[in-house]
Amino acid sequence: MSSQGFYPFIHTITPFITERCLEQIKLDMCYNKFGGNILSCGASFDYAWDGASHHCYTDLAVLIMLPGMEVIQPGSTKEVDILLKSQYNNGKPTYFRLSDHPHDIDVAVEFGKGVILKDSGAKLTIMTAGPLLGNVFKACQDLKVNLVYFHTIKPIDKAIISKFKETDIMVFHDAFGLYEAIAEVPNLSLSYHGLPDRFCDWYGTLEDIRKKIGLDPESIRNTIKQTSRRLD
Amino acid sequence: MNPSCKEIRKHILHISKDSGHGHVPTCFSIVEMLYATYEVMQHDPHNPSWENRDIFILSKGHGALAHYCILADFGYFDIEDVSAFGAFESNFGCHADRHKIRGIEVSTGSLGHGIGVAVGAALAFKIDKNKRRVFALVGDGESNEGSVWEAIMVAENLKLDNLTIIYDHNLSQLRGLQLHKPVDRFKGFGCDVIEVDGHNVDELKKGLKQKTDTVKVVVANAIKGFGCETLVENKYAWHRKSPSEADMRVLIKELDEKTI
Repeated sequence: MSSQGFYPFIHTITPFITERCLEQIKLDMCYNKFGGNILSCGASFDYAWDGASHHCYTDLAVLIMLPGMEVIQPGSTKEVDILLKSQYNNGKPTYFRLSDHPHDIDVAVEFGKGVILKDSGAKLTIMTAGPLLGNVFKACQDLKVNLVYFHTIKPIDKAIISKFKETDIMVFHDAFGLYEAIAEVPNLSLSYHGLPDRFCDWYGTLEDIRKKIGLDPESIRNTIKQTSRRLD
Repeated sequence: MNPSCKEIRKHILHISKDSGHGHVPTCFSIVEMLYATYEVMQHDPHNPSWENRDIFILSKGHGALAHYCILADFGYFDIEDVSAFGAFESNFGCHADRHKIRGIEVSTGSLGHGIGVAVGAALAFKIDKNKRRVFALVGDGESNEGSVWEAIMVAENLKLDNLTIIYDHNLSQLRGLQLHKPVDRFKGFGCDVIEVDGHNVDELKKGLKQKTDTVKVVVANAIKGFGCETLVENKYAWHRKSPSEADMRVLIKELDEKTI
């Protein structure tokens, strides 16, 4: 359809439309430069109870490596609305990672632009993306840290990252990809806080999994405070 | 309806109600297929890793709740163990994990994978000159996955007569891409095909026991939600729905009244 001028929308649960068909995305979309919109649902652990077959956390990391790909992780319905309307018909392969657990924080939305939610002049900067912002914001809203949020993972906003290159940067994210994108800016003091090197096969709910891997508000707050104490 | 299969359906309903999880109509479609397969297979519930056992793989992994209830019925574990279905840190997830549950040979959940593993296991038994057999239950919706047909081509090319594919022909694909005339399709791929009533245990067992020269496909004509008219008539609304207390009264009554 794209080869004939259409703007197709493709949709199903995250792993089935990213990991399973990676070569089709790589060759048929990116290599051929046939644009189109891949919209996944389920994010990392929205289907926690379904087990590892329905979890996905490599999609962002893999897709940012494909030449010509745009990779977007909207965290709220407002972000979905604005970014979809601005990008769907630009002729590029674009990935939208959707979730049914959006955050409720109102942030500025412009494709390719990160958002500074807190600039406290602190030595520590927290960076995150997508729906996890809800937990991260709750964890650090009264802490003396800087907070930067991304809804576009590729192209990553290198200018906004560079503003904080003299600080220690902690990336909190329930997927791979954001950390790797930020690390494209050279010489950062950067650490990743998120997924362990194992399948998160505990079933339950998204909240259960996030708590188990240290991404609930309390755990995030404790991790930040430990790092803050070390820096002070 | 086979009395054991009726009881298994009641377990499925109760566990789905209590847990809030489960694909009930899908599970109801395959109860007799699972029951007949475990009746025909060589296996030992008291020794699930018995070296001479046959292998069963639920390729349509979202029928896991039915599979758990069958395994419990055959004595692999107590049905009470399944009550934590889908709960945090439970062994019994909405798709099965072979590392956690006795009798589960392969973790499935993403469609179109189990059948490929089944072909590999059947080939391994052939190479070992082992008499063990492999049974894989594949959904008709699942068969929209190209990998199903790739696996069948390999199996037929290798003449894996120790592999039996049970095809759950419950017309669930009517929502999207329907595969018409599955018997002809499987024959076209070179398989030996037997068509049976997917809710008749005796017919299923007869088909499963029949000797063939190459990979065997048992096309089991089934009804999604079989056993409860409410589920049959509203199979899409019930795809992932769990029954409420009020639903349970209706569904159990319908099940009890089901004689065929």
